[in-house]
Amino acid sequence: MIAAALTLLLALPPLVWVAAMFDRIGTGRGAVLIGPLQNGAALLLRPNTATEAPDRLNRLLAPGWYLALALVGLSVVPLAPGVVASDISTGLVLWGACEALTVVVVFLHGWSPNAPLPLIGAYRYVAIGLPAMLLSMFVLIGAALPAQSLSVVEVVEAQREIWNVIRQPLGLPLFMALGLAITLRGPFDYADGAELAGGTSAEESGPALALWHFARAAMLVAFSAMAATAFLGGHLGPVLPGPVWLLLKTLVLMALSVAAGRFFARMPPARMLTFLWVVLLPLSFASLALVGVEVLP
Amino acid sequence: MNWLSALARGAEIPVFAVAGAQGLAPVEGLRRRPGLRLVDSPRHARVLLVAGAVDAAHKTALERLHAQLPPPRGTVWWQAAPLFARGEAVAGNDPLPAIRAAAEASDPDQRPDVPPHPWQGMGPHGQGGRGMMGGNPYGRPMAMTAEDIRDGLELDAYSARFGPFLPMLPPGLALDLTLQGDVIVSVTVVSPPFEQGVQGDAPDLCAARMLRLMGIGPRAARARGALMVLPKGSGMRRRLAAWLRGGTVAETPEPLSEALPGLEWAEAVLWLASFPPSQLRAVCMERQAA
Amino acid sequence: MTDALFLALSTLAIWSGWRVFRVDSMVRASFQLMVSFIAVGLIAVLLAAPYIGIATIFMMAVEMMVMALFMVMFMMNPAGLNPMVMVHQHRFSIAAGVVAFSGLSAAVLLSDLPVQRVPEGADVVRDLGHELLGPSMLIFETAGVTLLATMIGAVVLSAHSGRYGASDAGSLPPGLTPGGEPAGRKPDESAGHHHHHGGH
Repeated sequence: MIAAALTLLLALPPLVWVAAMFDRIGTGRGAVLIGPLQNGAALLLRPNTATEAPDRLNRLLAPGWYLALALVGLSVVPLAPGVVASDISTGLVLWGACEALTVVVVFLHGWSPNAPLPLIGAYRYVAIGLPAMLLSMFVLIGAALPAQSLSVVEVVEAQREIWNVIRQPLGLPLFMALGLAITLRGPFDYADGAELAGGTSAEESGPALALWHFARAAMLVAFSAMAATAFLGGHLGPVLPGPVWLLLKTLVLMALSVAAGRFFARMPPARMLTFLWVVLLPLSFASLALVGVEVLP
Repeated sequence: MNWLSALARGAEIPVFAVAGAQGLAPVEGLRRRPGLRLVDSPRHARVLLVAGAVDAAHKTALERLHAQLPPPRGTVWWQAAPLFARGEAVAGNDPLPAIRAAAEASDPDQRPDVPPHPWQGMGPHGQGGRGMMGGNPYGRPMAMTAEDIRDGLELDAYSARFGPFLPMLPPGLALDLTLQGDVIVSVTVVSPPFEQGVQGDAPDLCAARMLRLMGIGPRAARARGALMVLPKGSGMRRRLAAWLRGGTVAETPEPLSEALPGLEWAEAVLWLASFPPSQLRAVCMERQAA
Repeated sequence: MTDALFLALSTLAIWSGWRVFRVDSMVRASFQLMVSFIAVGLIAVLLAAPYIGIATIFMMAVEMMVMALFMVMFMMNPAGLNPMVMVHQHRFSIAAGVVAFSGLSAAVLLSDLPVQRVPEGADVVRDLGHELLGPSMLIFETAGVTLLATMIGAVVLSAHSGRYGASDAGSLPPGLTPGGEPAGRKPDESAGHHHHHGGH
C-alpha cells in the first residue's frame, strides 16, 4: 500500500510532463520536450497577482485541492494484482466523490478572485460539470455491474476474459466526456475557455497559475488511469508486467483525450446543457440497461 | 533558484497583444511565430504589445491594462504612437527583437498602485447598497436583483463596462453591459471597434478568430462538425461556412443594442466574431452618429 | 489512532458547522457546511460504513455546490464577496440551537447505546445493498420516483417554454376542430377580481 502510494507520487510528475508534451505536439510551436519545462519555470518566476477583496484562503488553496483530488482519484487505481494505494471496497464511489469535489474546487477557483470573468467561468462550469458527472456515474455503475462490486480491484479482475470496452462499447466514449470536463479541455472547457480570456484563471499568474496547469495535467493522468482501469482492463495483459500495461493504456487514453479536446468544438453552454441532458444522459441509461441485460444470469 | 532561471531563459515570452487601428492582421501573423506566445489575459503576460494606433480616448483604459500585467513588465508600441512614456516604439515589420528586449525590461508603474476609491462599504454591515445588495458604493457596481428577461425570475443583474481591449471582443469595442449570470440584459456601445482595413476582413483571419473562441484550430474545422456546434438560425453557421470556403461575408449586423440582449456571453461573443470587423464598425458608428 | 482521528474529525465537523453562522458570504457558508459533512462522512468511514461515508461526501459536494450556485445566481455581486450578515432572528435561533444541542446530547449520553462490533472482513457494502434493495426496496423506489416526478412537474410548470408555446404569448392549446375554441379548461374570468378584492 505504501509502496503503491510512493510509486504514484514518483510517477505523477513525469506523466504530467508527458501530458504537457502531448498538448504541444502538432501546435507548430516546436520544443516539444523541453518547452513545457521552460514555460513552467518562467511562470514560477513571475509574481502572483492580487485582486480587490478576494477570498484569500480559497484562492490560495484551490489549485492545491485540485491536485490533491487528482492524487486521491489516482490512488484507487490498482497498479498490479494486489498493489493499490487505497484498497477500499468502494473505490468507484471514492472516484465519484473526487469528480464531485473537482466541480467544487473549480468553482472556488473562479469565485475567489472576486472578478466577473472568472466568476462567469466558474458557474458556467458548474452547470455543465454536474450533468457530466452524473453521466459518468451511470457509466461507472455499468463497469461495476459485471464485477458485482464497487471495488476497483474487482472491476479489473472481472475483465480477465473480456475488457469492458468491448462488453460496453458506449461506456468509454461517454466516460471520455467526463474526462474532458474534469480536466477543463476542449469541448467541455467552460471554466477556462478563450471566450472568457482564461475564465477561472484569468486573474491568476505566477506560481498559482503554474500549479493550476500542473493540477489540470495531473487530473488528466488520473482520469486516463481510471478509464484504462475501468474499461481497458487496467494492469491486465500478456507478456509485459502489469504496471507497464497500465502505463501504456494510460498514455493511449491521455493522447486520445488531448486529441478529442482539439477535434471537437465547444458549443455555447446552453446548447451543451441540452445536449448533455437530452442526448448523452439517455445514452448512458441505455448503456447501463444493456449491461444489465448482459449480466442477467 | 539559479537553475530555474537558466531553464526559464529559453521559455516563450507571453505577450498580451492590443490590436489598434490596422493592428488585427499583424497580430494574427504573430500567432505562429516561435519564441513568443499570445495570451488571453494580461495577468498571464510579461510583455504588453500595442499593435496599431490607439486613439487618445482610450489612454486610461490602456494604462489600466498596463497596470494589470504583473511586474516586472515591458511594453512595445508596434507601428503605434506611444500614449504614455513606457517601453519602446518600433516601426518595422518585425516586433520580435523589441519584444525580446521588453521581456528583460521592467517598466515602472504608469498609474499609482492604489485603488481608484478606497474600499469601504455603506450600510449597517458594510455591504454597500440597499438591503444586502445593489448600489454603486465608491464606484464599484454591485449586483441587485431584477426581473430575468427570459422567465421573469428575480435574479441578480450586474452592470459593468467590458472592453475596449478584451481579447474575445473585436478590438476597440467597449460595451456597457448588464448581465444576469452570463445572459446579456442590456447593451450600450461606448466606443466602436477600430478601423481594420481590408486585411482585417480576410476570410482565414476571421474564421481563425471565431474558431479560437470555439476552442479548435482551422484544421479541425475542416471536418464541418464545427458548424453543427453553432446555434441554428443565427446566421453564424452560414457566415463561418463562407469564411471556411474562403468567401467573404457582406451581411450587415443588426445594431448591437438590439441583437445582443437575451444572448448568453459565449453566444454573444461568437455572434460578434461572426461579422467582419468593418461591418461591425460601420453599424456602431451609424448608431453613434444618430 | 482511530480515536485521535475521530476526535480530530469531530472537532473539524463542529468547528466548520459553527463557522457556517459566522462567515459573511453565502458561498463560504455553503462550503463550510460541506466541510462539516465531509468530516461526518469520514467518521462514518471510521465506523466501518465506507459506502455511507463516501456517498455522504459525494452527495454533499453536489448538494452544496448547487446551493452555492443558486446563491450566486441570486446574489452575484462580483463574486458574492460583498460583506453581509447571514443570520436572522438571533434570540430564537440561539434558543433553538441550545435546545436542540442539549436534547441530542442528552439522548446520546443517557440512552443505552448498543455495542456491536462489526466483525473483521464483514461484507458491509453488500449487506447494505441487500437491506436497501431487499425489504426497503418498495419504499425507496416509491420515494425516488415520486421525487423525480415532482421535480420534472415543477420544471414543466415553471418553464417559460410551455407545452403550447411561450407562456407570455398565452400558451393556449390548439382547438379540437381546425380554428375552433382552444381545448382544455377555460381560465376563470373572475379569479383576478376576487384576488384583487381579497387583497384589501
